[in-house]
Amino acid sequence: MSGMNIRITVKLIGPFVNQLGFSEKTMEFPAEATVESVLSSLPLDPKRPRIVTRNGQAVAPGEKLNDGDRLAVSPLYSGG
Amino acid sequence: MAGGEIRGGYMGKLLRVNLSTGETWDEPLDLERATMYIGGSAMGGRILLDEVPPGVGPFDEENRLMFLSGPFSGTSVPGSGTYTVVTKGPLTNQAATAQSNGWFGARIKAAGYDGIIIQGIAPNWVYLVVNDGVVEIRDASDVLGRDTQETQTYLMETLGLPKASVACIGAAGETMVLYANISSDFAHFASTNGIGAVMGSKKLKAIVIKGSKPIPVADPEGMRKLGLEDLRKVGEIDKKTGWSIQGTTGVLAWCNEVAALPVHNMRKTHHPEAWKIDGERLNNARVATYGCPNCTMRCGITILDYEGRESELDYENIGMLGSNLDIFELDQVASLNYLCDDYGLDTISAGAVLAFYADAIEQGAIKGDFRFGDAEMAKKLLGMAARREGEIGNLLADGSLRMARKIGHNSEAYAMQVKGLEISAYNCKFIPGMALAFGTSPIGAHHKESWVITFELKQTARDSYGPEKAAKVIELQRIRGGLFEFIVACRFPWIELGWDLEHYAEYFNKTTGLNWTLNDFWKVADRIYALMKFFWVREFPFWDRTRDYPPMVWFDPNNADTEGPIAGKVLELDKYNQLLDYYYEQRGWDKRGIPTRKTAEALDLKKEAAEVEKFTKLE
Ligand code: SF4
Repeated sequence: MSGMNIRITVKLIGPFVNQLGFSEKTMEFPAEATVESVLSSLPLDPKRPRIVTRNGQAVAPGEKLNDGDRLAVSPLYSGG
Repeated sequence: MAGGEIRGGYMGKLLRVNLSTGETWDEPLDLERATMYIGGSAMGGRILLDEVPPGVGPFDEENRLMFLSGPFSGTSVPGSGTYTVVTKGPLTNQAATAQSNGWFGARIKAAGYDGIIIQGIAPNWVYLVVNDGVVEIRDASDVLGRDTQETQTYLMETLGLPKASVACIGAAGETMVLYANISSDFAHFASTNGIGAVMGSKKLKAIVIKGSKPIPVADPEGMRKLGLEDLRKVGEIDKKTGWSIQGTTGVLAWCNEVAALPVHNMRKTHHPEAWKIDGERLNNARVATYGCPNCTMRCGITILDYEGRESELDYENIGMLGSNLDIFELDQVASLNYLCDDYGLDTISAGAVLAFYADAIEQGAIKGDFRFGDAEMAKKLLGMAARREGEIGNLLADGSLRMARKIGHNSEAYAMQVKGLEISAYNCKFIPGMALAFGTSPIGAHHKESWVITFELKQTARDSYGPEKAAKVIELQRIRGGLFEFIVACRFPWIELGWDLEHYAEYFNKTTGLNWTLNDFWKVADRIYALMKFFWVREFPFWDRTRDYPPMVWFDPNNADTEGPIAGKVLELDKYNQLLDYYYEQRGWDKRGIPTRKTAEALDLKKEAAEVEKFTKLE
């Protein structure tokens, strides 16, 4: 961890993997990073419905992240 | 508003077959009934209630086995080659409905029928040929013993009907394994609740169907235009969203993240090796892609299995035959799936049964050699179950509830089923709304009736047992367990691509010439849910709410995860009961979970309610 940054693991699910070209990546963000700020740094279509979880629990966009958090971003599946 | 006269969408007759006597006859379709029940599961549920009295067993002559189309089957609606099988199923001893995509549904109509209703038991094994309205019952001794794929190829070749569809059973249907399914159009299966065993009990190996009759619709030009436009749009949206890249299997990685994956007979909710069998790995291993007629989504992903054979996988197969058995080698999961397809075994029940068996051995409730993670042994056991070989084969062939009752030692608590039907691949030990969906599904636990889990985890607090969850379960039951099951069409374009439901009302009106709104559909959906409950109550007059409970192990604190997102958490029974109360109230059912007289009357079921009152008093 460098300076004031925090390390966040972003896990992409389903077609997001192909769209962004990675499946899981740990990246550094400023200490004040929120769910929204992390997501907006990625080339995700903001209009595309999605479900975002932090460490397995649904999370609001404004929530502040902690070092070591895992953010999973999935399209809104509806279960076949 | 509903009303008016049906001017299309139906061929106007049902084919009746009595296998005991060898008689076949055409019966005019009651169009008044069609406006109350539309088709598919609702129409079949109604016929079942009328023709299969309480006490008739699934394998009795009087049980009916129905292959039903709906108004959309064979039309230009995307994904409309679908059909529905309805019967009294052996796992629940109650109404079973199972939908299958492919061509078969469209061909029922093209052959001139809205459905085929089989009764009786043939003296010797037979298959049925329906070729443009010409019906024959033929000796099946040359087909017997063939697996599902071979049966289909053999019959099409032997009969010289390459453009026919064949629905058939494999070894498991022949030996009446209680979770045997029906295979049609090679890669498609009508699977739930042992409907293939019912087919086997009737000594009916296959139905071959072919037809060339045009399907009447009220507004042919409007339907053609809308269909073409939608096919194009569905393909475009799919391309844009990339849904078909992983199809349903994208769900696996998500369930693993949110602690909803079935692992180790659903005792665990996630696993560090789950990535090895996820949709990404599946897509990378893809060797072929399959689709259905009149659909631009082409969602079937095929890979080579451990033995080098092609096997088509979706999320349920991988969840139940993979993670739930602690098997994290994708090609081995594909092998288990291949065997299920070949023997004609429902993959959900088969995976649950093997996991329960491994768990019971691990708990010391029964002696045996099978351990979680042992793919080779799992393959052997599937064969033994399909052939009902020896004591173990017979034990496994009867489904997890009956197994638990034989094994004893409180093993029923971890037999992962509701009402006798094995739970599909969502581990709800801490997902109350989805547990409610499994608990209240009228056909036994099945995700097809109400998949509420993303709503639950995105829009509500996970630990809430509030009325909004009951409302969402009902909303989805109306759409998934209702609408798509009675119009008879693949639900994927709506479900996965966000296709507007209003489209289906528009199609319905252009097909039938009626003028319905979605609210009219919801009334039919509520009617069939009430009717199915009456069907249960007629058989079990002392019905109570405990029958709408999920497995008790989900309430057991000793079963809580020890690490991960839901460590230490399980469902709470008091709160689940509160959630059930909300559900019953919103449906207009009493505290036992039975529709009240007033509700029945509002759904035009006054006569049926009076009939049920012979068995139990309604509120
Ligand atoms: S979405 Fe898939 S299952 Fe549905 S009709 Fe299309 S190809 Fe068949």
